[in-house]
Amino acid sequence: MGLQELCDTVCIVGVGDTKQGAVPDKTGDELAIEAARAALEDCGLKKDDIDGLFVQPSYGRQGDYLKVGLMLGLNPRVGGAVEASGATGCYMIQHAALLLNAGMAQYILLVYGTNQKTNRNRFGGALLEEHAPYGAFNPSGPFAFAFRRHMHLYGTTEEQLATIAINQRAHARLNPKAVQQTPITLDDYMSARYIVEPLRLFDYCYITDGGHAFILTTADRAADLKKPPVYIRGMGRQEAFRAYETPDLVMQSFQQEAVAKMIFDMSGCTPQDMQALYVQDAYSPAVIAALENYGFCPRGESGRWIQDGRIALGGELPLNVNGGQLSETYMVGWQNTCDAVRQLRGECGARQIKDVERRLCTYTGGLREHAGALILRS
Amino acid sequence: MPDYNKPLPVIEKWNEPYWQAAKRHEFVAQQCTACGYIHLPPGPACTNCLSPDQDWVQLSGKGTIYSYGIYHQQWHPGFADDIPYNVALIDLDEGLQIMSQVVECENDALGCGLPVEVTFDDVTPEITLPKFRLVGTKQA
Repeated sequence: MGLQELCDTVCIVGVGDTKQGAVPDKTGDELAIEAARAALEDCGLKKDDIDGLFVQPSYGRQGDYLKVGLMLGLNPRVGGAVEASGATGCYMIQHAALLLNAGMAQYILLVYGTNQKTNRNRFGGALLEEHAPYGAFNPSGPFAFAFRRHMHLYGTTEEQLATIAINQRAHARLNPKAVQQTPITLDDYMSARYIVEPLRLFDYCYITDGGHAFILTTADRAADLKKPPVYIRGMGRQEAFRAYETPDLVMQSFQQEAVAKMIFDMSGCTPQDMQALYVQDAYSPAVIAALENYGFCPRGESGRWIQDGRIALGGELPLNVNGGQLSETYMVGWQNTCDAVRQLRGECGARQIKDVERRLCTYTGGLREHAGALILRS
Repeated sequence: MPDYNKPLPVIEKWNEPYWQAAKRHEFVAQQCTACGYIHLPPGPACTNCLSPDQDWVQLSGKGTIYSYGIYHQQWHPGFADDIPYNVALIDLDEGLQIMSQVVECENDALGCGLPVEVTFDDVTPEITLPKFRLVGTKQA
């Protein structure tokens, strides 16, 4: 069986989320359970219909597979913990799609919950142990290096990069769920402090507490459920564990170009068919990388390409219309899948994209090590 | 330097020869005796052909700045007095890339593509960190 035969065979039928931002009275696991309950209500399934469970571990020993399974009262046939940083949610959806196609499970629940804002996860560790003596803390470093390199090679400017944060903040203001609602201007952006220069405060995701959950099943079973199914039309992934020894990988072209080929081959779509794009934007240069690596714009031109409203709601390629991680909530990509599903169902109110049929969701995670993507359609 | 309070490398089986060499002010990498591939970080096998037979080879210490960032935020108290400090990815002439710092210059002097050479920072009696300086700048 080839990947193309899996096109449109599996659907996301339920999505659930919790309050985002600061949720100081709840543990990460509690938020995961709450999101799972919301996802079950969303699709109309009962807890005991679930026979597959995947859990993403989180900061402070939250998200232990066995423990979350115990709290949910489940004896799943299949599942496990998946840990691939910001690609995890995307990878889990792909695991679920394969298991559902193989008949190993009928309804698979994916959950993630975190209280890393309340518990003050500062992301202060080094990327690799041997980087710590040089002060290379926090995962943002490689993205700062990547953008610096982009500036050097293509003349991209900090003012051009600002468009990403400003655009997503404008989107967030149409999204009641978004944690960051204060508008930002180019002046606000340029006068914000540097964190790892050339990246400024607004180029960084905003750490939050919260939970998300998804339920997947096969297309035939999906027809009987409460909400319109959202089909997985394309999926792909590529690891790049050798990134640390190989030059020229900070823009993630090796892994993301491989993923792009998989998703577009499987789906029979092109980048130009996509009516929206979600990028796992832990740091805004992730958007620059994805636009070029997935073929939305020519290599080196993303700084200019994103100007003049092209990535705004109503533009040619609305990008992170939920506000993304820079403004909605930092759920390592889960919030983007959730929003894509709601867009395809037409549930997004003021930020609803008109006449949507297909969506491309990309998730990149793990700095440089992981890349995964999905194409979703209604 | 008893008050050195930055993180130190964790010495383990594979990287011990690397840090011993650095202490002697030698800059080395693993080289596969089967296929000749030169690689870092140190490990139990060649990352090109998986042969377990690895030697240590002297590097020229010459390279160029691939890219860099200027750290304005303090994530570790040991770096408080250094802010803003740089971290740079160095493309070595032997074809590998490592993360380090460029020293003996202002951050403003840094640029992608500029040539650098290794220099050794004896941060404690036991530990020396290979760092880099711009070629042509005066030694401190």
